[in-house]
Amino acid sequence: MVQCPSCAWPSEPRLICPQCGAPLGVELDCFAALELPRKLALDSRELEHIYHEAGRRVHPDRFAAATPAVRQASLKSTALLTRSYRTLRDPVSRGRYWLELMDEKLAENNQRVPPELAELVFEVQQQIGELREAQNGSVNTLCAAVRERREELAGLAARTQEELERNFARWDGGAGERQDLVNELKSALSKIAYLRTLTRDVDRALEGTAAH
Amino acid sequence: MSRIFGIDLGTTNSLIAVMEGERPQIAADPQTGNPLLPSVVAIAPQGEVFVGERAIAMEPHLTVERDGRIHAIGFEGGEAGAVVRSVKRYMGLGGDEVAAEDRHRYSFADFSGPVVRFAIGKRTFTPSQISAEILRALKARAAAALGEQVERVVVTVPAYFNDGQRQATKDAGRLAGLDVVRLVNEPTAASLAYGLHQMAEGRVAVYDLGGGTFDISILNIKGGIFEVLATNGDTHLGGDDFDRLLVDLLLGELPPQLRLDRHVWNSARLAAEAAKKRLSDHDEAELVLRLPDREVRKTISRTEFERMADDLVGRSLERCRMALADAQLAPAEVDAVVLVGGSTRMPLVRRRVAELFGREPMCSLDPDHVVALGAAVQAGVLMGSMGSRDDMLLLDVVPLSLGIETMGGVMERLIHRNTTIPTSVAEMFTTAVDNQTHVDIHVVQGERELARDCRSLARFKLGPIELQPAGVPRVEVTFLIDANGILNVTARDQRTGREHSIDVKPSYGLTDEEIERMLGESIDLGEQDLEQRMLISARNDAAQLLGALARQLEEYASLIQADERQHIEECASKLEGVQNGTDRAYISALVEELNQLTTPFAERIMDYTISRALEKKSVEELS
Repeated sequence: MVQCPSCAWPSEPRLICPQCGAPLGVELDCFAALELPRKLALDSRELEHIYHEAGRRVHPDRFAAATPAVRQASLKSTALLTRSYRTLRDPVSRGRYWLELMDEKLAENNQRVPPELAELVFEVQQQIGELREAQNGSVNTLCAAVRERREELAGLAARTQEELERNFARWDGGAGERQDLVNELKSALSKIAYLRTLTRDVDRALEGTAAH
Repeated sequence: MSRIFGIDLGTTNSLIAVMEGERPQIAADPQTGNPLLPSVVAIAPQGEVFVGERAIAMEPHLTVERDGRIHAIGFEGGEAGAVVRSVKRYMGLGGDEVAAEDRHRYSFADFSGPVVRFAIGKRTFTPSQISAEILRALKARAAAALGEQVERVVVTVPAYFNDGQRQATKDAGRLAGLDVVRLVNEPTAASLAYGLHQMAEGRVAVYDLGGGTFDISILNIKGGIFEVLATNGDTHLGGDDFDRLLVDLLLGELPPQLRLDRHVWNSARLAAEAAKKRLSDHDEAELVLRLPDREVRKTISRTEFERMADDLVGRSLERCRMALADAQLAPAEVDAVVLVGGSTRMPLVRRRVAELFGREPMCSLDPDHVVALGAAVQAGVLMGSMGSRDDMLLLDVVPLSLGIETMGGVMERLIHRNTTIPTSVAEMFTTAVDNQTHVDIHVVQGERELARDCRSLARFKLGPIELQPAGVPRVEVTFLIDANGILNVTARDQRTGREHSIDVKPSYGLTDEEIERMLGESIDLGEQDLEQRMLISARNDAAQLLGALARQLEEYASLIQADERQHIEECASKLEGVQNGTDRAYISALVEELNQLTTPFAERIMDYTISRALEKKSVEELS
């Protein structure tokens, strides 16, 4: 039990005091902060709505005249709320966070190339290398090829994310073998993480070319 | 409880406003009716401080401009004084961070320290101390205009201000005896003034062309949440540049020596500014410069002026395009354009901005007042938190990423730029060797990969940590950015649950002890009551005027008639008789009277010195 800094009412740890509506300022997991069940599939609009509504109730601007303890609780609760929203908003960070809650760490070394991406990664790195070395004449053609490649990467990331979200729904629905699902989630997450890094490398190479 | 006021602490002008019922209202100077307070601070040799118009009036006495640099000049029997303009350009900066253009404008005590300090006479002043004087003047103005004490304020800052600059702004408030309850981004405030927070969803461009700086911000508004998508600008582009075009036109045909004369240049600048303003609602304006032996007159049409000014406006539009590109938006995707800053009164600016965005900009509010009005709206929301108002919530975002230096000097991002604030992140730290008692942590702010390319925010030592084998201690450090964009750090030992004390040493800016010391120092200057300060000012005005007059009567005796001299001396002796008394109103009245009496004499002196400059010129031409 925790005690409300505003009305001293004892309550379960949660974002807002059920008695007086003041923020309690306690640490919670991201799902609890947003008063959501631990489900993986989330509607982003609904999530945003919940975040805004809760934000209005706990933000420090609402408690400018309150006691220092309440103001501090409001600051902590709002920070927690923002962090929770940002964590859950992106399906990839939501998936990682959820795995962490389950004590299922992703492989520490994310730099390892997922086998199904190996060929693609090799080709992209080679293209980036060529672009960096390129002389004036060939830059434009190379750039166009790299841009095309970027589109391909983006498409693949989007498809992988769809796959991830399908697995989210399957998990929530209790379908399939649990451990298999967890493994699929892990594989999709590291694939997306790798694609994001690769896309960033491509963007940097393109920016570098534009700067010259 | 007292009301919360909104303050626009600007580079060129500052304002204070408060909610009157449902509407924000600017508190103007009760004597002059001027809502703007020029952000100019004069520090007289004896230590008195003048702000605004009065500081500008002191300027010729306290400084001379030589080689593009402002030099403080001394008074007889006193230390040197100085006039500081645009102090905002120096807020929260360390010596190495001051822009190249701004390094030579003033004398600085120390460029190597964590805070730039202005050297004025034998004393030094931090930018926060100088800004505190502006805040004090605003506080006094609101007290005089509304008969009410100002204790709590909302202050606006540019969206791109980093942690140090924000902290310096809060420090200035504290030094002025104000509780800064909230810092708000200027473009956000401008949008609030126009009620754009009521917009369900949309993108707003805030185009802010002030006296000396240009800022463009692209905001996303959704459900009362303001997200800064991109900012860009030019810290040295503003109304002054437009004035300079007309000054050059006016002085173009004069001998170079005269153009360098401070008085001539200043008169030309005033004429230029007046003409520029006239051209905003007339087709033609005349520039007049009176010199002892002649009068220079130039007529300029709006079309001609706009042709000259087009490049300057073009520069600002280029910045707008860059901001739009950063926000990944096409100009047509912007739903509203807000104009801020006096220079946006120019029809050319309005037209070109409208062309760029393909829509008419919002300009129904005075562009000089917009930011202060918005600050008052936010102050109103904060006051509402004691009552009922719960229709609006303003969430700003952190302008720069925050991270820590890790192995190899790489910056590890903990909080990404544009994250809505307040927000926090917890990071676990442990030891690298057995029985290590402290962990050093270096916090940086910026977008670069390497910590050394980012701005150093603070360094601190975590500990003492219990003696344990390497890797066993687990200390959780929480980095929390509050609603003002300012960092707070706390640490907790995971095993013992004990809170660690953290001694944060800001890399730039002032430590708490320094602030305490300055607060102590400022009491004798700042916390005296208003009447007392006004009395001191009046006495100083009297002393200064009498001193200057005595010198002039001696040096330029040939320029004055006997009866005129007698009138002046009678008034002067009356003033001498009362100048050390306590009747402030009488002293001020006599100063005013003497000023008026001596004006024709002062004008003759100026004509005389200028004609001598001209003579010298013609002698040189002959030889």
